[in-house]
Amino acid sequence: MRPFDPSFIWAVIPALLPFLSVTLAVVAGTLFFGSLLGGLLAAGQVSGGRMVRRLARAYIYLVRCTPPIVMLFIVFYGLPKFFMEVFSLDINAWDKIVYVWISFTLLFAAPISEVMRSSYLAVDHGQYEAAVSIGLSPRQAFLHIMLSQAAVVALPNFGNAVISLMKEGSLAYTIGLVDLIGKGQLIISVHYGARALETYLALTLIYLVLTLGVEQLFSFLEHRFSGLPPSDAVWHPVKPGGEV
Amino acid sequence: MLKIRNVHKKFHHIEVLKGVDITVDKGDVVAILGPSGSGKTTLLRCINFLERADQGEMEFDAVHLEFTAASSREIAQIRKKTAFVFQNYNLFQNKTALENVTVGLTVGRGMSRIQAEAVGMKALIKVGLADRANFYPAQLSGGQQQRVGIARAIAVEPDVILFDEPTSALDPELVGEVLAVIKQLAKEGKTMVIVTHEMKFAAEVATHVVFMADGNIVEEGSPEMMFVCPKEERTRSFLRRILPQIEYNI
Amino acid sequence: MELDYSFLEKTLLLVLLAIPTTLKLTVVSVLAAAPFSLGIALVRLHQKGALLRLVTAYVTFVRGTPIVLQILLVYSLLPSALKAGAAGLGLRVDVFALNPVFYAYAVFTLNTIALLSEVLRSALGNIAPGQMEAALCAGLTKPQAYAYIILPQALVSAMPNLCNLTVNLIKGTSLAFLMTVQDMTATAKIAASYGYNYIEAYLDVFAGYVLVCSIVQCLFHYAERHVGRYRLARQKQG
Ligand SMILES: Nc1ncnc2c1ncn2[C@@H]1O[C@H](COP(=O)(O)OP(=O)(O)O)[C@@H](O)[C@H]1O
Ligand SMILES: [Mg+2]
Repeated sequence: MRPFDPSFIWAVIPALLPFLSVTLAVVAGTLFFGSLLGGLLAAGQVSGGRMVRRLARAYIYLVRCTPPIVMLFIVFYGLPKFFMEVFSLDINAWDKIVYVWISFTLLFAAPISEVMRSSYLAVDHGQYEAAVSIGLSPRQAFLHIMLSQAAVVALPNFGNAVISLMKEGSLAYTIGLVDLIGKGQLIISVHYGARALETYLALTLIYLVLTLGVEQLFSFLEHRFSGLPPSDAVWHPVKPGGEV
Repeated sequence: MLKIRNVHKKFHHIEVLKGVDITVDKGDVVAILGPSGSGKTTLLRCINFLERADQGEMEFDAVHLEFTAASSREIAQIRKKTAFVFQNYNLFQNKTALENVTVGLTVGRGMSRIQAEAVGMKALIKVGLADRANFYPAQLSGGQQQRVGIARAIAVEPDVILFDEPTSALDPELVGEVLAVIKQLAKEGKTMVIVTHEMKFAAEVATHVVFMADGNIVEEGSPEMMFVCPKEERTRSFLRRILPQIEYNI
Repeated sequence: MELDYSFLEKTLLLVLLAIPTTLKLTVVSVLAAAPFSLGIALVRLHQKGALLRLVTAYVTFVRGTPIVLQILLVYSLLPSALKAGAAGLGLRVDVFALNPVFYAYAVFTLNTIALLSEVLRSALGNIAPGQMEAALCAGLTKPQAYAYIILPQALVSAMPNLCNLTVNLIKGTSLAFLMTVQDMTATAKIAASYGYNYIEAYLDVFAGYVLVCSIVQCLFHYAERHVGRYRLARQKQG
């Protein structure tokens, strides 16, 4: 075994970075589809009938018990068979990332729906009532008054969900997707298993930068939108007993 | 103009409104009095369909409807003719004072932003808060917030404004500024239904006084009649309790 | 969809028999991590300087990297580190003969130390300062105050987060197969590889995890009510 060579950590990063786009694509696609499905689940729980509510709850419960790797394998092995037998459609040629998107969408819809639901419920119902009382339709009241306030409430938890998605998304390499870690594995096998430690350390650095960056981004957004007074409104404290 | 008949409402099998009738004509200022829990808030909320009454009819100008059968189109119609001033203001927390006032115009009624802002500023001037137009609710005192709430209600030019205890969440020293605004609206001939515990104010502005207890209207009439010589014992004891000096004042 | 039901049944039994491995990994990791986590939580609440920076860096590292990467890292680091350590001590150990479950314990304990410290930190931080002051005034020493007053309260408020942590750890142990530990996932994978019955095998694993997680959540629910009796009493009064 060759001795540990720290300089290889820096040397390998440029080879890994092009595959950052794959890792980010996994996250972005999952966020998009997962938010759609999560929105449906949240809406079902907040305003659905008894049956719909139960189904949504059951789904969320089951997903909470499912290890990501198991979901990934079920989708990866099960979906082609399902499509073949039900639609006589061969989907083995589909890009691996599609399976990854599907798996993580199914997984992440659950926590995302919980984030959405709890943030919606955290907004005072009086806001909705005030909106319809001045002539907004229920839909308009939701879109213009409730949604933006709920979104601000949701930001920190949504940020946490994105970070944990980013980390769990790294499992995609186990079905052969060449993302950051997948590329790392390829590099290691080129070196016949040597340089593993250096490569993993390089990956660790990249992931730390990514997750810390996302954390910073969300805490910035939170500050920006948390209803702190914008600069053009000067805050004059009102003294008791009179107008300023 | 607005007539409601025989309104019933139950919460969990407890009857909160037991057949209430109210008639409001154009220019009326109807004051609704009554002990806490008598169903005053619920009545106002039923008029605006924030609660769905279990039984009863409503006549609003040309619109006739059964509460239970009202379609969402009819509800939207009634809501556009009315506005609601909430006990706890319910200002939109994420919008400035001016945006609070204009959103009902731009989003609810499709008015252009510029036009809506002109209307909105006029409403804010009327409640004396033009200089707070760009403030967020969190930056305003309770009295100021409620005045924005009133500006928001008048900006959409409703036929009737419903007030649910507009001053009871306020510190005593801030009550006056809000009542002054409502008095001004009364002078201008706005039609209003006001639930309040401010007896002196009610005696001053109301054209008609309704006394409610236990989900029923116990007694109603002109302010003179209601405050000076109420017929029902319940009204008398309520007034005695809430304003012991009433007999000397009016 | 056509499933091989006899395989499904047979493998389910195998998977269920592997449940103890999963539970052992989970319990050992949590118990081994607990003292370190408590130490880190206390350092982060009360200390300044180099020690604080060190433990903060550690927690940031664990929270900021995928657990699969931590596994790969430890798996490639630990053997040589052990060998060097053993040589330094003058011992001759064949590190490659070591049971792979040892690596799994190491990874999941290291991981849990950081995550559990976060749970404990927030629970300890939410105890009203008056509790400590009252305990000291009553004549308890600081360690006694922690042992008898602060920790028991913190544990109650930490229960929901502890439950989350445990469920996540259980799910995380599904990656132990990467270290060739014979847990539920590995068992199923091997059984499936003979006849390419992967879907059936992973459905069994899914069922196994749902079962384990459900039981654990029930236990936590029960424990929460047990250790939180004083809260319930307060609610009933109020
Ligand atoms: N949403 C609700 N659910 C259950 N009970 C309610 C609800 N709203 C009001 N009530 C009950 O109805 C009764 C009348 O309430 P309300 O109309 O607020 O009275 P008031 O405004 O005259 O004080 C009270 O006993 C109250 O507890
Ligand atoms: Mg009320």
